[in-house]
Amino acid sequence: MTKQPFDRRIATGLDRGEAFTFSFDGKPVEAYPGESVAAALIAHGRRKFRDTLKREMPRGLYCGMGVCWECIMVIDGRAAVRACMTQAEPGMKVETQHGLGPPATMTGAP
Amino acid sequence: MNNADLAIVGAGPTGLSAALVAPRAGLKVWIFDDNALPGGQYFRQLPKQYRKTQKTVYDKEHGRAAELFTAIHHPNVTYLPNATVWENPDPGILAFAAGERSGRIEAKAILIACGASDRPVPFPGWTLPGVVTAGGLQNLVKGARVVPGERAVVAGNGPLLMVVAANLIRAGAEVAAVAEAAPAKARLWRNLPRLLHAPEIVKLAVNYRGLMAKAGAPYRCGETVIEARGGDELEEVVLAPIDTRGHIDRAKARTVACDTLVAGFGLNPSIEMYRLLGCEVTYNSYRGGWMPKRSEDLETSIPGIFAAGDGAGIGGVEFALIEGKLAGTVIARNLGALGERDAAIQAAPLRSRLERFRKFRVGLERVYAPPATWTELMTEDTVVCRCEDVSLGEVREREAQGFTSAFAIKGSTRMSMGRCQGRNCLPTLAALIAARDGVAVEQVDLPRGRPPARLVTIGDLLQEDLPAPVFPADPHLPRGEEVT
Ligand code: FES
Repeated sequence: MTKQPFDRRIATGLDRGEAFTFSFDGKPVEAYPGESVAAALIAHGRRKFRDTLKREMPRGLYCGMGVCWECIMVIDGRAAVRACMTQAEPGMKVETQHGLGPPATMTGAP
Repeated sequence: MNNADLAIVGAGPTGLSAALVAPRAGLKVWIFDDNALPGGQYFRQLPKQYRKTQKTVYDKEHGRAAELFTAIHHPNVTYLPNATVWENPDPGILAFAAGERSGRIEAKAILIACGASDRPVPFPGWTLPGVVTAGGLQNLVKGARVVPGERAVVAGNGPLLMVVAANLIRAGAEVAAVAEAAPAKARLWRNLPRLLHAPEIVKLAVNYRGLMAKAGAPYRCGETVIEARGGDELEEVVLAPIDTRGHIDRAKARTVACDTLVAGFGLNPSIEMYRLLGCEVTYNSYRGGWMPKRSEDLETSIPGIFAAGDGAGIGGVEFALIEGKLAGTVIARNLGALGERDAAIQAAPLRSRLERFRKFRVGLERVYAPPATWTELMTEDTVVCRCEDVSLGEVREREAQGFTSAFAIKGSTRMSMGRCQGRNCLPTLAALIAARDGVAVEQVDLPRGRPPARLVTIGDLLQEDLPAPVFPADPHLPRGEEVT
């Protein structure tokens, strides 16, 4: 189990199992089974998840419990998916959401 | 249609405690929870796949948690994780979205145990990545063992700030400042006798303070965050003195460099279910703002609908655990599963424990009573509604045009019409109107709550197995013709 150089996971007393990778804006990010997309990104210092439609402001994790919808991203082609409530999966394609996300994917079609 | 004696919304400390009691008395219970694992925020679990190799400080609640989690395995319990209760189409009926299991349930009693979330308090820069709520930080640490940064500032109001600071320190982060808005230290001694009704909690606080002192994390009272600054991410925060009326002394501001700001301004009960069901609400600023009116038996204004735990008024985990059990007992009695006498015997120790913690709560509320208002933190550019990107300036502009009620501001700015369903901005909207009109927050008329209570996908709803609707005869159709 090799750690990526920059890792904010607390290692003490825990075996997270076998790490896998998903892609974030085309670059690989390491995650562990059961970890949320938000936790995996934050563990590697990726904190901007999207920018907003009207003011194009950067946003990231805020409430961390599914209430605020600030952490939404484009995940496997589907827009407005909460990163804090979504488990990372091997090979998952996670992208920064710009505004409402790509219009063709609003329906959830890949 | 599914049937149950009792439908519990929320599998946190409250919901699970109720589920330890009611099913044992013979009630058929359904529990709905929007998380993947039971436990709510306080007993948030690590992913099932993780293996603990040694005991750590995070396992101190392991015993209580393990007992609670047994509740979902009782044969009388149907537990639905990843489920969102979103509508109350008819009295006693709840509609829930849960992927393939989406559907409706008819229940003789309903217990709302939805807990609470951080009170949103807008200030310039609070939307920057790197600014998280106290609850959000706790969840990252408890649910993923991840710390969001290396150098943090903790600011806001309430005892949770100490817990957050301690957790950051234990995780190896540097805590550059802890800013408590209330003059808590000055109020402490006077209220100590009350606080000592719960010596176990006082001891915890002493431990946290010890940890903070050892790590050199300065705890300042009467100070608040007034701005967070950065480009794409947080780089520094500005702190300044604040008095009990909410006035800020900007001349004495100081800047602290950090990559993380944990903003915890206390908790608000989740009121969307009461708004949906039409339960009467009341306002108590000491216990988190709006909350349902309840009887001694924890019943809301609507017979058969009960509310307990933080979602019915902030009390903390001990309150939640006791109220959950009390609700389970009372409901079992009301539905005839438990005799009057047995119910009274079971309820008596719960009520007296509740009384002890109530005395403690009063002490706590007096020590941490927040500034009268937080509205001075906002500037024209401050985003007051995150989902719809509405600034205070936009609200003011609309007010000047005559859109003055909460409803008119909502309609003209889209404030509270976004994905969070107003949960993150209605308290702000009410506070702004109250400050403008010089009235108490509780006198502000909130826009009506409408379904869905929480966001659900059309995909989920299509999974619902509903009987074909019966349409009334359509007068526009030629006689005898039917819609197919
Ligand atoms: S951070 Fe609030 S919903 Fe994910």
